[in-house]
Amino acid sequence: MKHVIIGNGIAGVTASEAIRMLNGTADITMIGDEIFPPYSRPMISHVLDGSQPHDKLPIRSEHFYDDLKITPLLGQRARGIDVDNRQVELADGTRVDFDRLLIAAGADPRPTQAEGLDLKNIFYLRTQDHVKQQTTALAGARRAVVLGGGLVGFKAAYGLLKRGLSVTMLITSGYPLSMQVDATAGRMILNELVCHGLKVEVGVSVRAFEGNGTVRVAVTDTGTRLPCEIVIIGKGVLPARDFIPKDKIDADLGVLVDDHLQTSVPGIYAAGDVAESVDIARDCRWVNALWPEAAGQGRVAGLNMAGRPVAYPGSLSRNVMRVFGLDVLTVGNADPIEDAGYRVVRSSGADRHFYRRLVLKEDRLVGAVMINGIEQGGVLRALIENRTPIRLPPETLIAPGFNFGQLLY
Amino acid sequence: MKQVVVHPERCVGCMQCMLACATAHSRSLMLFAAVQETPQPKARIHVGAGCFNEGFPNRCRHCDPAPCQMACLAGAIYRSDSTGTVMINPDRCINCASCAMACPYGVIRFHEDPLGPAGHAIAVKCDNCSARVAKGQIPACVEICKAGALTYEEMDTAMRRKNRAVARSMSTDADPPVMPAGVALLKSIKQSELQLSGS
Repeated sequence: MKHVIIGNGIAGVTASEAIRMLNGTADITMIGDEIFPPYSRPMISHVLDGSQPHDKLPIRSEHFYDDLKITPLLGQRARGIDVDNRQVELADGTRVDFDRLLIAAGADPRPTQAEGLDLKNIFYLRTQDHVKQQTTALAGARRAVVLGGGLVGFKAAYGLLKRGLSVTMLITSGYPLSMQVDATAGRMILNELVCHGLKVEVGVSVRAFEGNGTVRVAVTDTGTRLPCEIVIIGKGVLPARDFIPKDKIDADLGVLVDDHLQTSVPGIYAAGDVAESVDIARDCRWVNALWPEAAGQGRVAGLNMAGRPVAYPGSLSRNVMRVFGLDVLTVGNADPIEDAGYRVVRSSGADRHFYRRLVLKEDRLVGAVMINGIEQGGVLRALIENRTPIRLPPETLIAPGFNFGQLLY
Repeated sequence: MKQVVVHPERCVGCMQCMLACATAHSRSLMLFAAVQETPQPKARIHVGAGCFNEGFPNRCRHCDPAPCQMACLAGAIYRSDSTGTVMINPDRCINCASCAMACPYGVIRFHEDPLGPAGHAIAVKCDNCSARVAKGQIPACVEICKAGALTYEEMDTAMRRKNRAVARSMSTDADPPVMPAGVALLKSIKQSELQLSGS
């Protein structure tokens, strides 16, 4: 049996481990454009903020491919999939036969439109190579501009602030992480960042970058000129599915998968940031391009590919981050459109350092936001993920002293 | 292999296990010296109040597969091959709290630990008292528990005993439940207290 995995990110890695666990002899080939050993993508923001060294990024041995008897085809991307002849075509024209294929190609940074994008020191924040270049560019940089207030933009701004730079963040909504948290939590996070020197421009985008080889100024669409020595673009990601024949394999924003992570073509699976499965909290198709989700999906896809049928219950948006003095944990559908049958239970929000918000639909928990005291966040996450009917008054779940034992009666 | 088995129905909420646990994870390994240590050692078993204010000893289940291990961004969480215990490597942990999101029981805490790197908060949880067990001792929480809420035994033995107790309680000439009289009394007092204050 020939297993081919497109992508050597965490989904591809956990898939190959699952296949090897069930089958010691199957052929496994991994195709990936990064030649660095398997590493922790989310950790690159910790390298940017200076709290961790770059050499701590690998989370598997440098002999990973040898140890698991995997044939690595690294340094290039897949260019196409020949579904009828069951072959993957690589950028250099090589064709690789497969019996079972996993598409774990991940996602790429969402590009932005502006003049002067080819200047030096304008970066995306996605790979270990990006963060390596950024830490080099930090020497001599005093001012930074960050585009976007989503997860990536936020982490970039936080990292640069911690490095002592003067950071201006350009965002479209009134507070950062508007897709992850509600307005109250968003303002708490914003306040914390502003207290530490972040400057925020709302509803502004960049028209052009200027400089002599290296970026010196970002010009906004309102004409403001922001001097800067480093720019990080964090406008989210898009599934890397350009090479996938859409007439053969069903795709929407991501590659559509069933409850065993199989695509519309038998024997071809998808996992990770490129896969579009079902969001448990929203009860609809959704791409949750998140590392822990990718790790779990890769494992399930690998087990299925190796012949052990394992159902995938669906994915959940989830994030946990530390912002100076705030620990923020958000999971599920934390800020749904009002009046659609959702009920919100929240703490007063008067405390600048403590906040709780639960979103319920009928007797089920579908979303939660916690600021500080996040140790029980996983209990709430499990309640959402397992679709557990909530028998306790929801206020109990956000009261101090809530613990797993209270769910047992 | 013996492991710690929790019998929450027997817990009286005395929190002795927390003291014993913190002491067992201190530098001095002695209670009165441990309270003087900086950073102060903290318990890795957490006695919470249940719905009726009864005690609930909450500790790491060492799940297999372990969700915290799969979610760990830094690859710091691993399973010991010989004992099956899920461990956290304090030198790899980056204190990102991804494991807090993953743990369905809420048993992981984040703080500086006497056994971790100085000056850095890290994720801390039960390690099945690996250091004590290696010396031939039993886990500290079990050793101290007076109520029989924590035992150290083969899981098969514990399951068999529990199955028998359930089967017996369902037969026509059922034995009374195998709960010490004192524990049962304390629990019913706590429940009625709560009902009285609620009415």
